Amino acid sequence: MSALLSVGAVTVLFDGVTALSDVSFDVNQGELLGLIGPNGAGKTTLLRVITGVVRQTSGTVLLDGRSLDGLPTHLRIRRGLALSQQIVTPFCGMSVIDNVALAAGAKKTASPVKALFHTRRERELKIGGELLARLGIESQANESPEIQPMGILKRLELARSLALVLRLLLLDEPLAGLNSKEARLLADTITEINRGGTTIVLIEHNLGEVLRVCHRLVVLDNGEKIAEGEPETVMNDATVRAAYLGTGAAAQAGERHAAA
Amino acid sequence: MLFVELIAQGLIQGSIYALIALGLTLVYGLLRILHVAHAAFFTLGGYVGVMVANQTGSLAAAIVAAMIVAGIGGILVFRLCYQPILHQPPFVPLIASIGLYIAAEELFRIIFGPSGLTYGYAFLQGQVVLFGSLRFKLAEIAVMLGSAAIIGVLSLLQTRTRIGVACQATVSDPQMAESFGISLRRVGDINFFVGSALAAFAGVMVSVLNNLVEPTMGSVPSYKALAIIVLGGLGSVRGTLAAALVLGVVESFGTVYLGHFLDRNAIAFAFLILVLMWRPQGLFARSG
Amino acid sequence: MEYEISLATTMAISVLFALSLNMITGFCGQISLGHAAFLGVGAYTSGILAKAGVPFLLTLPLAMLLAGALGVIVGFASLRVRADFLAITTMGVGFLFVGIVRQQDVLGAEMGISAIPDTDMSKLAFMLFAVAMAAATAVLSAYVRRCWMGRVFAAIAEDEDTVRVMGIDVPSFKLTAFALGTALAGLAGGLYAQHLKFIAPDSFGFIESITVLSMVVVGGIGSVIGVTVSAAVLSVLPSWFQVIGDYKLLVYGGLLFLMMRFSPGGMAALVTRVFHPDRWGAK
Repeated sequence: MSALLSVGAVTVLFDGVTALSDVSFDVNQGELLGLIGPNGAGKTTLLRVITGVVRQTSGTVLLDGRSLDGLPTHLRIRRGLALSQQIVTPFCGMSVIDNVALAAGAKKTASPVKALFHTRRERELKIGGELLARLGIESQANESPEIQPMGILKRLELARSLALVLRLLLLDEPLAGLNSKEARLLADTITEINRGGTTIVLIEHNLGEVLRVCHRLVVLDNGEKIAEGEPETVMNDATVRAAYLGTGAAAQAGERHAAA
Repeated sequence: MLFVELIAQGLIQGSIYALIALGLTLVYGLLRILHVAHAAFFTLGGYVGVMVANQTGSLAAAIVAAMIVAGIGGILVFRLCYQPILHQPPFVPLIASIGLYIAAEELFRIIFGPSGLTYGYAFLQGQVVLFGSLRFKLAEIAVMLGSAAIIGVLSLLQTRTRIGVACQATVSDPQMAESFGISLRRVGDINFFVGSALAAFAGVMVSVLNNLVEPTMGSVPSYKALAIIVLGGLGSVRGTLAAALVLGVVESFGTVYLGHFLDRNAIAFAFLILVLMWRPQGLFARSG
Repeated sequence: MEYEISLATTMAISVLFALSLNMITGFCGQISLGHAAFLGVGAYTSGILAKAGVPFLLTLPLAMLLAGALGVIVGFASLRVRADFLAITTMGVGFLFVGIVRQQDVLGAEMGISAIPDTDMSKLAFMLFAVAMAAATAVLSAYVRRCWMGRVFAAIAEDEDTVRVMGIDVPSFKLTAFALGTALAGLAGGLYAQHLKFIAPDSFGFIESITVLSMVVVGGIGSVIGVTVSAAVLSVLPSWFQVIGDYKLLVYGGLLFLMMRFSPGGMAALVTRVFHPDRWGAK
């Protein structure tokens, strides 16, 4: 299998504090990779390095064998990354379907000039409608995101990511804030998206769902990669168990915080 | 000698700025509002001061009256004008505040006339000679000492009293403080009272310095105080003090050396823009 | 009749100027408290060139170009600082403009520039020309709002970080908003100088910036019709009612405050609330 995303020896220092230390791993084409670790392990920082929000101190990130280093966020997205954020960020001034249509209009929003000379968006609305149907929220299409419950917003966030020209989907705690039934349903949806051919990196605290859906895990602790491999093997690893048990309480508190 | 004189003049101007800007910082720290209308209390202080002084002949009475009236006015503005629109996007309270200030300035003009009022008594007009040959008005010395004293007392109150600590806690994390049972509204009252009273004190002192109270006396300080709190890193009390003094000095040098190219206000804002482009988070804010 | 023509010209210039700010603040959410500086850049450019013998109509594109170029420079500030910081920075730009112009003898210093030569247009023709420019700007605004650029602007106004992770080049869109808005302000400035024949630094100060902002805010931030109506009404109110003329700033200040306090969406939101209480879009 070829590596779609390759993280090579990434180190991040914040004011002298090491947030990530020499982290390397590959994400293969078609894979659903779980990125897990206790709170403060550096998962979100790593995601930010991949999307270019945070610049690494050293190391390199390749997508399809081409370096992403130094590219601004929006160009990385245009290369095929998509990020679904931990805290949902719908545009409340537009309807649910308009949110998705905006993302689907990547070609027309590539530059201000292109954007100025295009008005039609039948195609984007059609894509938006299909995605909303695929995620089961088509009945909310013309409503404001403002009044939607968290479960719908999480799906909207996902739909918006899927509307982009997509090679690799980065999901930052998509299940946080959902009850166990909703979480299970959304995890199933994520699996379906993956079966449809989309490569996914999933950051998630809900270990039950992670173990159920992910093909492979990468475990971070204190900014270092401490394990990588098949879910069962990884979870039986002594280092991983120690990392989780040692800071288990903190991780749980973090989950509650994220849910609030 | 010019050098020392410019520094001294800069510090005097800077301490006036500090008094005005401190109230703005207290409000910004708590509510994240750029309280442009704050300068109205500077002007209000001037008017109450000159009227009380001319009635009673006492500068002390004038200062106390001005501070109390402005303080109460501050609380009213907080309760009636800002509290209902706190949940709106930041430009809403900002524009509301600008509107309020412009309206207030016009009210002063309509009520007290456009030409301004003067003191019937000569307060603090005597001169002293310091550093060999530099002459200072007593009022200038009083401004410096008064500001230093007030700011000193405030910082003591802030660290030594329950309510002071509560205010500080609220400014650093309003939600957390509320969950500890501190009332946001009460802290808001105190911040607006103290901030507006300080501005009124500055208003009295400046009007004594110039022996003039006019409707527009607040306009330049109001915008400049905004520049100062931005330089100070928005919401940081120490940063604000430092920025006020630095700006006072930069202006007094700038007026001498750049005066033929830029006027005094433009110097302040040129300095502000340069600093912001270099450090978008302000001169004295810690990054991140 | 001459008086009415002059009033209509003032109205048209105000509408054009307010719509130019609406492009930046209304559509793209970038607050500007120094927009009058660009009116000033346009007015001075056009006025000085006209006095140097350049035909009036030719001074207008140059005024737009210079104002737009300076606007892009200020736009770069919006890439560096946001929200409250941007408000103060743009306010600083306004003060800087007045402060610089005031000290330059070339620009007439405090005295400003007077006796700007007439065009070959009659007063009536000039009024119609100004109205046509304002109408064209309104049409352009309505178009921008409907095209993909307007959609991106609206999204940036709401949450630019999210727009960025949607793969959109936020800086170039913001700069475009500044370029468009300030160039149009430059156009308004050129008309302004020609209309009044006299310009001075104080005509482009903070009060003027706030006045135009109040036109936008009272009309309803982002609403083309709302801003057009409010700019038209607010610009002529002082001349129609002498009482308001004397208390002009009290009325502006009061309106600005009351609008924000009771209806932050401006008149447009008020109208929507009255006629379509179920519509969620207008808040």
